[in-house]
Amino acid sequence: MPMKLLECDTLIPERERHIYIKEAGEDTTQFLPVSDSATIPGTLSERGCAFCGAKLVIGGVLKDTIQMIHGPVGCAYDTWHTKRYPSDADNFQLKYVWSTNVKEKNVVFGAEKLLKKSIFEAFDAMPNIKRMIIYTTCSTALIGDDPKAVARAVMDERPEVDIFVVECPGFAGVSQSKGHHVLNMAWIHEKVGQVEPEITSPYTINFIGDYNIQGDSFILHQYWEKLGIQVLSHFTGNATYDECRGMHRAQLNVVNCARSAGYIANELHKAYGIPRLDIDSWGFSYMSTGLRKIGDFFGIQDKVEALIAEEEAKWKPQIDWYKERLKGKKMAIWTGGPRLWHWTKAVEDDMGMEVVAMSSKFGHQEDFEKVIARGNEGAIYIDDGNELEFFEVLTMVHPDVIFTGPRVGELVKKLHIPYVNGHAYHNGPYMGYEGFVNMARDIYNAINSPLWALAGQNIQEGELL
Amino acid sequence: MSQTDDMVTFIQEHCLWQFHSRAWDRESNINGILPMAFQILTGETPKQETPDERCYFANANRLAAEMKDDLPWLEGLRKEELADVIDRVKDKIEDIAVKHSLNGELNQPGY
Repeated sequence: MPMKLLECDTLIPERERHIYIKEAGEDTTQFLPVSDSATIPGTLSERGCAFCGAKLVIGGVLKDTIQMIHGPVGCAYDTWHTKRYPSDADNFQLKYVWSTNVKEKNVVFGAEKLLKKSIFEAFDAMPNIKRMIIYTTCSTALIGDDPKAVARAVMDERPEVDIFVVECPGFAGVSQSKGHHVLNMAWIHEKVGQVEPEITSPYTINFIGDYNIQGDSFILHQYWEKLGIQVLSHFTGNATYDECRGMHRAQLNVVNCARSAGYIANELHKAYGIPRLDIDSWGFSYMSTGLRKIGDFFGIQDKVEALIAEEEAKWKPQIDWYKERLKGKKMAIWTGGPRLWHWTKAVEDDMGMEVVAMSSKFGHQEDFEKVIARGNEGAIYIDDGNELEFFEVLTMVHPDVIFTGPRVGELVKKLHIPYVNGHAYHNGPYMGYEGFVNMARDIYNAINSPLWALAGQNIQEGELL
Repeated sequence: MSQTDDMVTFIQEHCLWQFHSRAWDRESNINGILPMAFQILTGETPKQETPDERCYFANANRLAAEMKDDLPWLEGLRKEELADVIDRVKDKIEDIAVKHSLNGELNQPGY
């Protein structure tokens, strides 16, 4: 029975539908984990909320935009400095956090006046910034505030500013995935088409679903420059608000993270006829395949081959050095969703590793179709994994390294198993050729660190060394 | 493993276009890309007049090139034999990714 009920889930047998172990000869028409469904009461989920998906993942990346979080200050603080996406705008988006700081009296009497006051206060404090996103949160959604009306009133008073409202309180969906969806759909319907970009190249793309984690977008930007491709909108790594309003003029949507931003690529195809080309931006073979596809689309194959040759000459010897030393090491990937399918084959092909377990916090069944098609037989595939399940899976597959977030990372560190930050990276960027060498180095350092053996010593007995 | 299964496994592992969000996107991609891959493998140049056709071509050209590297038996096939294999592969991929997919979102009317 490939769907697996773990021992720790005996009292919540519904979890069986979320855990799959792949066997030879099976495909996803036979078994596919239930996903993007409500967390089962009684499990200790690792998921983020819907608001977090809109703000922390997508909107908060924009480098020239005030992120006004309409709610208690905790919603702002918890989605502020927990993700490392730099920019070339002096990291404006990482330095500040904005909140309307809603209190009990605002819940009783309404918080729209407070929101308006906060908007003016923020624009006045930062006179060079003319763009803002307002996010509702659980409390301000429940009291029935109308932030769109407030935003319209402000824009009437100050025509030089533009405000986008994301109405996606934390409770709006089962995970942060809902926030991705709400922001994507609202942006395409309300903002795309409002700005006409200056076209400077015969080759124009939107690069969709990359958030410049530790500089991923900077690496990719080098490639686009060498290929003579103009990126009208990088949705949203190192991007400006207005760049993302000009997405409708691109010739091609190149999609990396189909989970967080496939929606806007689909809508751009529907509304403007811009085709969607999905690629993987992590890994040597995948990056080359993606670049070659873009080269074929624009008819610039020679430039692409020159770029690949240059990058491989520079980085292939390094990845091969790590591959020799990482061969056969076992890896678990417990992240959001897409990185399971982006990475499982890439680390096998380029680093010689074996992926033995994967867990997704917010992936949909589409993501499980992809990862099961690409992943190993015998590997464990989990939707919305919880703490006890992680502990049990460790006893089943014994990974040498785990890619996950800091919350689960702290758990596994206590078991003296190395963890690498699979969301915000340890020492990234990880995309492209250079990035995958960084990722291999972090894995190598994690696995070979002497700290794990030292951490297991009982220093309460005997002499301290 | 049969030639059809071999190619299906290759496509399942390598191609993201079969897993786009909705049934109609997947069908368009399968029907757009696999016939072009056949044309490329048999030395023809597919039509690339619309943006969608250029995108299908980008995927098909890579698929054809990578299959040539990884599926050496392709070289020994006559055109009619290859046409049969591609037809069977297309049916099988449609079965897995569309018709018999357990993905509950495939037929939702919107994105």
